[in-house]
Amino acid sequence: MLLMSTMTASGQTVAEELKADPNRGAGNFYALPIGKMPKDTPAPMGKKPFYINHYGCPGSYYREIESVYEEPYAVFAKADSLGKLTKLGQDVKKRLELLRQDAKDRIGELTTKGVEQCRDQIRQMVKRFPDILTPKGYYSCRSIVQNNCIMTLQESLVELSSMMQPMKTNVIATHREDRFMAPQDKVLEAMRWDSLTLARYNRFLALNTGNARLMESLFTDQNFLINQVDPETLSRQLYILAGSIQHTELAGTVTLFDLFTPTEIQSHWKKLNAKYYITNGACTLNGGTQPFMQRSLLRNMIHMGDSVVKREYPMVHLRYVNENVVMALACLMELDNCGLQTDNLDALGDMGWATHRIAPLSGSVMIVHYRSEVGDPDVLVKVLLNGNEARLPIESDCAPYYHWEDVKRYYLRKLYRYENIRLNKEVMK
Amino acid sequence: MKKISYTLFLLLTFSSAYAQTVRDLIIQKPVYASCNYNTYPDSIPNDLTPSPEGKKPFYISHYGRHGSRYISSRSGYDIPFRMIAHADSVNELTPTGERVFDEMKLVMADTERRWGELTSYGKTQHRRIARRMLEHFPEVFRDDARVSCVSTIVPRCIESMGVAMAEMKQVNPKLRITMVASQRNQWYMNHQDRKLRKNYMTPEAKKAYDAYISSRLGNSRLMELIFKNPDIVKEIVDEEKFNYYLMKMGLFQQNTHLYKNTYLQDLFETDELYHMWQIDNVYWYIQHGACKLNGGKQPTSQKPLLRQLIADADSCIRLDKPGAQLRYGHDTVLLPLVCLMGINGFDLATDNFDELEEKGWWCSDVFPMAANLQFIFYRSSLKDKDVLMKVLLNEKEATLPIATDCAPYYHWADVRSYCLGKLENNP
Repeated sequence: MLLMSTMTASGQTVAEELKADPNRGAGNFYALPIGKMPKDTPAPMGKKPFYINHYGCPGSYYREIESVYEEPYAVFAKADSLGKLTKLGQDVKKRLELLRQDAKDRIGELTTKGVEQCRDQIRQMVKRFPDILTPKGYYSCRSIVQNNCIMTLQESLVELSSMMQPMKTNVIATHREDRFMAPQDKVLEAMRWDSLTLARYNRFLALNTGNARLMESLFTDQNFLINQVDPETLSRQLYILAGSIQHTELAGTVTLFDLFTPTEIQSHWKKLNAKYYITNGACTLNGGTQPFMQRSLLRNMIHMGDSVVKREYPMVHLRYVNENVVMALACLMELDNCGLQTDNLDALGDMGWATHRIAPLSGSVMIVHYRSEVGDPDVLVKVLLNGNEARLPIESDCAPYYHWEDVKRYYLRKLYRYENIRLNKEVMK
Repeated sequence: MKKISYTLFLLLTFSSAYAQTVRDLIIQKPVYASCNYNTYPDSIPNDLTPSPEGKKPFYISHYGRHGSRYISSRSGYDIPFRMIAHADSVNELTPTGERVFDEMKLVMADTERRWGELTSYGKTQHRRIARRMLEHFPEVFRDDARVSCVSTIVPRCIESMGVAMAEMKQVNPKLRITMVASQRNQWYMNHQDRKLRKNYMTPEAKKAYDAYISSRLGNSRLMELIFKNPDIVKEIVDEEKFNYYLMKMGLFQQNTHLYKNTYLQDLFETDELYHMWQIDNVYWYIQHGACKLNGGKQPTSQKPLLRQLIADADSCIRLDKPGAQLRYGHDTVLLPLVCLMGINGFDLATDNFDELEEKGWWCSDVFPMAANLQFIFYRSSLKDKDVLMKVLLNEKEATLPIATDCAPYYHWADVRSYCLGKLENNP
């Protein structure tokens, strides 16, 4: 059972997944594929969906930091000016030039692929939940104040509008809701990279480093390498760029994954994955509490679930937030393998904790509420992680459906326990 | 005879439209006094001239300002708020002053963490404008017509674009809509000419401006109303600033959901509002109008946009069904563009500020929230060489300073060469 669950629905291990599509190696910067609509387990007799609370990542976008495109190019340009590039190195320089031209003045912006993803997500939602997504429904669409999220929201809204007439909406992008859509917590942030965690992570990096082959394939001169290049940084930068191409119109014509061997790809993936595990997962190195960053969000989810119970007409909350928020939320809710608690950074993939499965671009956590009629005391919910029915850490006689009362009890207790600890610590001070 | 009666009719319409003074407009709608914080006119009469004979609208090119928003930054509200809070701390507020302080607190709390964000009224404005565009020019939006939108990278503009497009899809779900908000287009969507911007307040302009506003600032009546001892609080309350910013704060609420609460706005008498309008109108003129006191070049800041509008029109006219190109941006682009093109006489060049009001250079007419400029293009068929166009400023037919035999329509060839002339003559 455990072994089964560390694989994807198609039964692939992370290594196999990466081999089949190295783009997954981009981690949370993997673009959720368009057009694949997951299947739904039929709802228990007589129950119909009436409310969706959706937290989505922005669609594909250009990297948010210009140096991602500029720094590796600068290294290659310099090496080229000194005649220190191999033939492959010269070719890579040309590719990097294309990438930086493509990204110029588009830093952090939604790409055309991102637009397609937004529209696809909405079409799937309308198809899968025709009982909720009707002209009688009410659509509350929210975004954090970040352009790629706002654009994701607007594209989704326009697509929805083409499928739904009339349409009652409320569209807002405001800092007012940062409290739970983009929460901050200085205590948790301070704990995230404490000295012990950082030391362990650095050791993990050192153990997984081997860039000699790659560097030799690109540069002709050892002296130049030693004096001008930090192989680990450059290798990481090239890897990150390799994973970024899938979002742009250069996908299919330019690649950088060919520079890496499958083992190198896996090793880069491991390092990237571990970094996000420490940041958003329940990693025991830094106390295992980072997912609690999203406690206001989970509380809001529970609160909303309760407050819509008596609504006669269906309702949809579409919210667009940073992918880190979605990732940490999935960990807090312990969806599938996301709740993993360990200090073994090396085995995350084997234990099924992989960012590209949790919060890829255009990914989402959706909680769908079911009832037989208004006032039904036994509301059921199911949670979709990137569209797929997710397993909750809660017993159920009708999985993937869960009794709302059980779900609420479990999560509220979890939140209370953590908040009590925090409160006691505050008092002790 | 027919021609004479038409001219007479035109004269009559113009004189009746302009018979209203700014003061009248402020009495009808106090927020008119706050210039760029003015709200979009709520009712747009559907009195557009029918299409020219044998021609149909086939392409719309547009530049619009985002809808009503919250004030962009805290500083505008902080100035009067800190003054009154200080006066309160030394027990210098009258009972009215205390109520004013409470109302200001309400506004501050309501705006907190919403600085610069589009308000729900702002969204409504854009929905209505989009819907009317489709209703007035259905030929442009038929079937799967193309609607290409570009927005600046400012969230309130992106949101304005999004709600407008969602509304269009409600009317025609088949429209092919694209939306872009990219740094790549900022060079024409939100062009700011640093040199012009830095140098608009020349010593001559400053001198004339100071002389113009000196008699219009200040409000001792308001001071008496709010403070127990206006003489004493003068040390902590700058009368001129307090008056100006409190008035703005009050009027601004017309853009938010607090619009029904006019307590702050009602503190001011018509003449006080009118004086503030005069001050602001002159200031906007110096910044963006063809003011002779600073060389008259300020409107040329929008040359990149005008060039783009011409280039876009050139390429779209060649297409069978070009659809619409909609652009979402800012007041500080729209006003100088209108001045550069000389729409409705806004290219007025003068060094006498009194002329602005006499000759209708009233900025509140140009750039209320959600203000927009639409160029509607007409032809009989793709082969028609004589493309006509008309200009709508805030959805009302507007004039260009060029001759035409078919007003309010103009021959595109004439408009094009007139605009190119503007670009060439202002290197």
